[in-house]
Amino acid sequence: MSVRSPGRHLDDIGFEVLRIAALAALLAVIVVPFVYVVSVSFRSPAEFFTAGIYLVPKEPTLEPWVSSFGSLAVPLKNSLLIASGTMIISLIITIPGAYVFGRKEFPGKRIGFYGIVVALMFPYIILVIPLADIWYDFQIHDTIPGMWIAYQTFVAPFAIWILRDFFEKLPTDLEEAARVYGCTQWGAFVRVILPLSAPAIAAVGFLAFLTGWNDYLFSSLLTTGSGVRPSIVVLFNTTTGGERNYWALIMAQTLIVGTPPAVLYMVARRHITNAFAV
Amino acid sequence: MLAILASVQTYTREVGSTVAGRARSYRETFDEHRFAYLLFMPTLLFIVGLIWLPFLRGVWMSFHAWPLLGGQEWVGLGNYEYLFGWQPFITSLTATLVYAFTTFLQLFTAILAALLLKHQKRFKNLINGTFLLPYTMPPVVTGAIWLYLLNPNVGPVFTALTEFGILDQAIYWATEGTAAMAVVMGVLAWTFWPFMFLIILASLENIPEEHYETARVYGAGRIQQFLKVTLPQLKSAILVAVSIRMVWNLTKISQPLQLTGGGPGYDTSILAILVYRFGWLQGSMGRAFAVGVILLIVTLGFILLFIREFEREAGAGG
Repeated sequence: MSVRSPGRHLDDIGFEVLRIAALAALLAVIVVPFVYVVSVSFRSPAEFFTAGIYLVPKEPTLEPWVSSFGSLAVPLKNSLLIASGTMIISLIITIPGAYVFGRKEFPGKRIGFYGIVVALMFPYIILVIPLADIWYDFQIHDTIPGMWIAYQTFVAPFAIWILRDFFEKLPTDLEEAARVYGCTQWGAFVRVILPLSAPAIAAVGFLAFLTGWNDYLFSSLLTTGSGVRPSIVVLFNTTTGGERNYWALIMAQTLIVGTPPAVLYMVARRHITNAFAV
Repeated sequence: MLAILASVQTYTREVGSTVAGRARSYRETFDEHRFAYLLFMPTLLFIVGLIWLPFLRGVWMSFHAWPLLGGQEWVGLGNYEYLFGWQPFITSLTATLVYAFTTFLQLFTAILAALLLKHQKRFKNLINGTFLLPYTMPPVVTGAIWLYLLNPNVGPVFTALTEFGILDQAIYWATEGTAAMAVVMGVLAWTFWPFMFLIILASLENIPEEHYETARVYGAGRIQQFLKVTLPQLKSAILVAVSIRMVWNLTKISQPLQLTGGGPGYDTSILAILVYRFGWLQGSMGRAFAVGVILLIVTLGFILLFIREFEREAGAGG
């Protein structure tokens, strides 16, 4: 490194300046919209007809937030129930399956795995049509358990794919060792493999929760306004409906619905990043 | 494998000597495969019952006139024939092909951001978290934010552009085909690029520094290092990211639905929105699923094309 010419050094500095400038620009594109929206959510109705761009509200008011929490209370509860149940069920059905795909050999394994990978590629909007039909027949349309099951179409293939990868990378002789110490096959799975897989399980759990909380399409088609409608559908209807005048209210609702998943994501970030390493 | 069997045998023998004989014979017949099948069963039921059967039933529906309520009638390829003779369908198909390029917009941003961040020393974690912010929120939330920011009457973006004299007047993008498409693609890219960024940054950090040192010894510049070392090493990450995002971009329609409703006319009605329009606004399930099958074919086509091109490029470059 000591033979580096001065020209090369200057070049490096130039590159570094360019890099930081580009990074700052990218950050601004992401942060500025959020900051501005927070500011908007504290404005009074009159401010939307005054021209100009400014950050600090002229007559700050909490009214949009109070009224948003009021109208979103029940839908938020529905969202929470739907998302938590989706998470629990997805873990129950995908962990054992992913485990055998990652660590066992059995006839039919290949075709089973392709069945799942291809399912990952299905545009899931095409599944909601036959599902809605079946949901009416089984009378689980517009119920919270109905939503739990419906979201598995989307969560399960992805969850298996991530979990299988993780299980496969664990050392091969773990189960053997457990068996030597007297564990059954089931015992080896539950007491040895599961605790070691906590990071991947956490990542999949969060992703399942987020799907249940964030998805609009299934919840709008499989629930009704008088039933278990979650907050995301209420927000969508507000933004596309007639009451587009009072933007402070809409932005407060937006932030209320958007914050819980964002906070969860930040908490689970390290696990999620690891699970995504390809 | 032999070692496992041996340990099973010693284990069952030990248990057998202490527990009743019935338990012993039960354990002896409990073979490896049955355990695997037992664990696989819940997954299998869900995947077949929730994904494959509804899918096949849907394909079956696409050969029928299938109203939401009332009797269905076999029409063979009638639904498909109808679609290809219907101008709005061709508009939708074209819109879908254009729209798919939002995936590459996301890929470009993701690679750029990952490269910019790789050598960052201070605040790296904080910047990383900030980059993820748009993706952490529900798409309907980020869609609502941009619906306000880009509102031609009160939104700050057009206010700023007209105030600084860059534009004479606000663009009413929702009523103009090309502008509407640009807004939809832009907002989608803004929302979803961090997903690709997650995958690509994780792979980028795993490339051994020695690779770059070797490249430098042979006199490779920055661009050459990127083309000869970084890109080939990121190959599988890019393949996975593009395939998944392509499928999701073409099917997650909440944002385009919210921003333009598929309009003006059918200009931003990508195929998935057409499925929605047929299925839910008109109750014509057969036609909706015919569009769905075409969407699936288009999606798989995109992915295969991308994989082939990418393999060829990487083969020639590396």
